[in-house]
Amino acid sequence: MTAKVTQTAFVSRFGAAIFIIGKILRFAFFLMFLLILGSKTHRVADYSIFQIIFVFATFNIVDTTSQFFLREVYRFRYYVVSGEFDYFLTKPLSPLIRSLFGGSDILDLPILLLSVVFIVYSASQIGNISSPFVFLYIALLINALAIALAMHILVLGIGVMTTEIDHTIMIYRDITQMGRLPVDIYREPLSWILTFIIPVGIMITIPAKSFFGILSPQLVVLSLFISAIFLIASIRFWHFALKNYTSVSS
Amino acid sequence: MKKYILIIKNVWSEMTTYRLNFALWRLRVNLQLLTMYFLWLAIIPTSGQFGSYNQSLMLTYILGGALLSTVIISSRSYGVGDHITQGDLSNYLIRPINYFAFWFAQDLGDKAMNISFAIFELTALFLILKPPFFIQTDPTFLILAAICAFVAVFLYFFLNFLIGLVGFWSPEVWAPRFIFIILITFFAGGLFPLDILPAPLYEIFKYLPFTYLIYFPLKVYLGQLYLQQILQGIATAAIWVLILYLIVKFVWNRGLKLYTAYGR
Amino acid sequence: MPAIDVKNLTKIYSVFQKEPGFSGTIKSLFRRKYQKIKALEDISFEIKEGELVGFIGPNGAGKTTTLKCLSGLLYPTSGQISVLGYRPWQRQENFLKEIAFVMGQKNQLWWELPPMETFLLNKEIYDIPQSQFKKALADLTQLLSVGDIVNTPTKKLSLGQRMKCELIASLLHSPQVLFLDEPTIGLDVVMQSKLREFIGEYNRKFGATIILTSHYMGDVQALCRRVIIISVGQIIFDGQLSKLVQKYAPYKLISLVLQKETEVSQILSFGEIKFIDFPRVALKVSSKDVKITATRILKELPVEDLNIEDADIEEVIRDVFGNKG
Repeated sequence: MTAKVTQTAFVSRFGAAIFIIGKILRFAFFLMFLLILGSKTHRVADYSIFQIIFVFATFNIVDTTSQFFLREVYRFRYYVVSGEFDYFLTKPLSPLIRSLFGGSDILDLPILLLSVVFIVYSASQIGNISSPFVFLYIALLINALAIALAMHILVLGIGVMTTEIDHTIMIYRDITQMGRLPVDIYREPLSWILTFIIPVGIMITIPAKSFFGILSPQLVVLSLFISAIFLIASIRFWHFALKNYTSVSS
Repeated sequence: MKKYILIIKNVWSEMTTYRLNFALWRLRVNLQLLTMYFLWLAIIPTSGQFGSYNQSLMLTYILGGALLSTVIISSRSYGVGDHITQGDLSNYLIRPINYFAFWFAQDLGDKAMNISFAIFELTALFLILKPPFFIQTDPTFLILAAICAFVAVFLYFFLNFLIGLVGFWSPEVWAPRFIFIILITFFAGGLFPLDILPAPLYEIFKYLPFTYLIYFPLKVYLGQLYLQQILQGIATAAIWVLILYLIVKFVWNRGLKLYTAYGR
Repeated sequence: MPAIDVKNLTKIYSVFQKEPGFSGTIKSLFRRKYQKIKALEDISFEIKEGELVGFIGPNGAGKTTTLKCLSGLLYPTSGQISVLGYRPWQRQENFLKEIAFVMGQKNQLWWELPPMETFLLNKEIYDIPQSQFKKALADLTQLLSVGDIVNTPTKKLSLGQRMKCELIASLLHSPQVLFLDEPTIGLDVVMQSKLREFIGEYNRKFGATIILTSHYMGDVQALCRRVIIISVGQIIFDGQLSKLVQKYAPYKLISLVLQKETEVSQILSFGEIKFIDFPRVALKVSSKDVKITATRILKELPVEDLNIEDADIEEVIRDVFGNKG
């Protein structure tokens, strides 16, 4: 189906409510799928089924939280095409900040809550949790959000240069969707690409692995290092894009 | 008749101007395919079994599902909703053209373009991934699978159209469609074969129309059903097509009365 | 037999009232409140083949509703309509092949493709024989002076070019009856006059019955000898335009921009003051005297700029027929 990009603006709150129901259904169905897998297999590529569910829940937390804060990015194309972006550039507030934040939608919260519930649930099923790993996990989640931020800045930069933003965002979403499952189930070189080029693995699999206690300290440092690089590079790219910006003339 | 062929041709031409857009769409479709492919590859080792599926059968199912999705689920008729809410429907009401046939022709154009790309992409994926693909050699199964796919095209058309008709009663056409897309993703069998569901659930699914969109034709292709089951399935699917056709007609007439009562 | 015959047409809309907000939506699922709006009340008229008639009236008067009833888009609540011997709302194929309805904002040209592709599609939709198609295309492209742009993708055309192609697409099948709903809305002055020229010529050359709606007096003055005025769903005038203007709007407006402040009493001597906000003044002057008065004003008042305008149709209707608009 050559579907149009899903609109994030609805005619009424009623439509928005139906949209949330849809998201919850999607979450529930995929979870059910994982549970069915669990009922028939006990391990999937070295992970127990509850570890897989934990990864899925981690994905949802990272995905929903980043969407919650960065919703405004989805309106970006409209701003560029309509010329409103020009106002961003002339106002004292940093256009980057303006383009990233402010669009938070309370509708994102239900899924977030669900994810937290499942993190706790699957964690309890895995057992053997020790607090240093929990802290490491949370720290790496924050690291993941930093990467998400970098990715969104990159998308904005592309949007400034080409106005082709809708698909860029959706491709970002599609690739991060691959993080619903631990990236090591993918064969090389895909697994490597997903860890270092488009760092989905660092965003989701690595925090999860730290929680399981199977992450080497070198990888922890590497993850932090990579997210720092991405963040700096994306901001540089943003400034570069702005320099080459040609305003839309109607 | 020629007008519908022209419509198919126009859709094709239009899509070639949306090159970048379309290419990105195909990229997205393939990313989703790869995710599921690798998942199953990880779940079922080479000599393993998952329910009635060994690795070869499951991977065949996933790849076949991707191709079948392009054939059956590619469509443009989601545009019906917008046509109604934006009043473009009026343009078609005053022309001597059958509105259903108009959309069906558009769908065919869309499918044609998507299928040509899918064939190319799947060939590439075959060469790269070298999946242990199961090739059905029994012509009976092949023909029956084709028949199932044929029925599925109409089944999906009416389901899709029905969702669009919501536009007669509500300006909110995308929210219901979002839910529809999610239902199709999980219930049609594109992500996983429906018979891995727990038995009581599977029994219910046998009566749902979604099952016959992707899961059923694939199952027939894989040769895992008895002839009697196949015929029963085709009959169920055909009955659903009939029921949906009647529902669509009814809803369309009611909706049209409303539309022409308001005048947009 | 008249081409269009309308008897006692009434159209009532049932608009359902929804309360705003979430609770409103839920409530609406259970109990709906309807409000009845009478869009047309007992209107009757006849239009002969080849006539060019203008439906005018203020916004919301019922002009578009009338056209939609005549073309079959709306079904009448009561009354009879016959267009070319057909009942429009039955939307029979042969009926649809004889009419064309050009609705302002709704486009039929495929956006990404050249207009020519839409023309060819219409050729098939209307079953136009090849020779007739070629002739119609040639005639129309000449009348509208479009030339080669029909092979450029629609999205690359200017608004004016697009409009012309939309018209061609609508007229290729040489309809016997043409409905034009606010055809000049949103166009610049040059396009407006070109469009009016075209409509007039088309009517003369092909003898099609044309009904157009407008709330611009200019459209109607340029094209129609006969006008039907609708206000609040009722016909309040059906006859020759010249009589309407003579009888009911024998005045013109003079708008002035003054160089320096002038006594109101002095301005009053020239006509009725409609509006005054220095330096702008608008005066109502009888049509007979407008030229003389204008000359006098130029001599006696410190005028920066002077403009003579027709009475606004909405005002005429409001003034003459009472505040029904």
